[in-house]
Amino acid sequence: MEMSEAELISRCQQGDRDALREIFNQYQKKVYRVAYGVVRQREEALDIVQEVFIKLFRSIQHFKGKSHFYTYLYRMTMNTAIDHTRKMKKVPSSSVDEDEGFQFSDDPEKRPDRIFAHKELEEKVRRAMDQLSPDQKAALIFREVEGLTYQEIAEAMGCSIGTVMSRLHYGRKRVQELLKDYVEGGR
Amino acid sequence: MWKGGGRMKRECSSVSKLLDKYFDQELTLEERSLVEGHLPDCPACRRALESMETLRNFIRSPVEEAVEKETFPWVWEKIERGIQQREGPGLWESLRDWLSLPFLLKRKIWIPAVATAVILILVMAPLLFKKISSYPVPSVVEYVESETYNVMIYQLENQDVTVIWLFNGPEEET
Repeated sequence: MEMSEAELISRCQQGDRDALREIFNQYQKKVYRVAYGVVRQREEALDIVQEVFIKLFRSIQHFKGKSHFYTYLYRMTMNTAIDHTRKMKKVPSSSVDEDEGFQFSDDPEKRPDRIFAHKELEEKVRRAMDQLSPDQKAALIFREVEGLTYQEIAEAMGCSIGTVMSRLHYGRKRVQELLKDYVEGGR
Repeated sequence: MWKGGGRMKRECSSVSKLLDKYFDQELTLEERSLVEGHLPDCPACRRALESMETLRNFIRSPVEEAVEKETFPWVWEKIERGIQQREGPGLWESLRDWLSLPFLLKRKIWIPAVATAVILILVMAPLLFKKISSYPVPSVVEYVESETYNVMIYQLENQDVTVIWLFNGPEEET
């Protein structure tokens, strides 16, 4: 029998791991999207997803329902992802996935030079995003990746809508400057 | 239709401040009409919107691709293991949880706790010192002198012991 979200949360607060599993099934992709948006690497994003749900199980009794559950989870995910990037900052990341080998193909998108260019752009985007303050980065990811409204972003970040707008505006401006050659070329 | 240069510039200055909200579909109907009325005549504002769209694709597309092909292998199992390993907060987590309590709540706990501890110390200290430094002092119950023996009977304070001391005459002891 399907349970409502409120029932799932209540059971999870009582230590019911089946309820947590159900929440995980419902939200794993959303959490992964935010995590991947921040770190832009699969293994790190999966580690963050794991960490978020473990933290959720331990802290969910503090959730009083004053905000929407999904904004509470988004905030936890963003904080965990940003903490993760701080720890990993000293470790240089490779720009090309070593698992992807070059393969001959008729598909233009699968040509080695295109794959490399694609990866190179991804790396540039990741580095540009890393230049932002954590708040600007969070606002940009919530808006561009998750499509949250200004109100939802404000709730997730615990700030006003005006602050959200400011962070988005200056975050976009900064990344556009850093990716000027790519953005203006429309590549 | 040609719009005067000055009017165009003023309008562009107003509209450019609304472009982010227009792009995010957060405008009122009135504001949206203003922007959409301005865009056909303003290449600069159109270029700004195109740049935002390009940037959004750069940020979003890799994420969409990654999510689409992700199957989350073994993630739930790792979560369960992580919960089991961390079940029962350790001393550090307990301390951290306690320290993360709201400031007001902390004062209600630690002020009375410290006050109670101080009172207990003040009350118990004299008893402790008394206990440590006290030594059972014998108290004499009876002393009898005679020509042959002198007898002293005394009891120790904290022990149920009675000592009978016989000694010969006033000068000798037995």
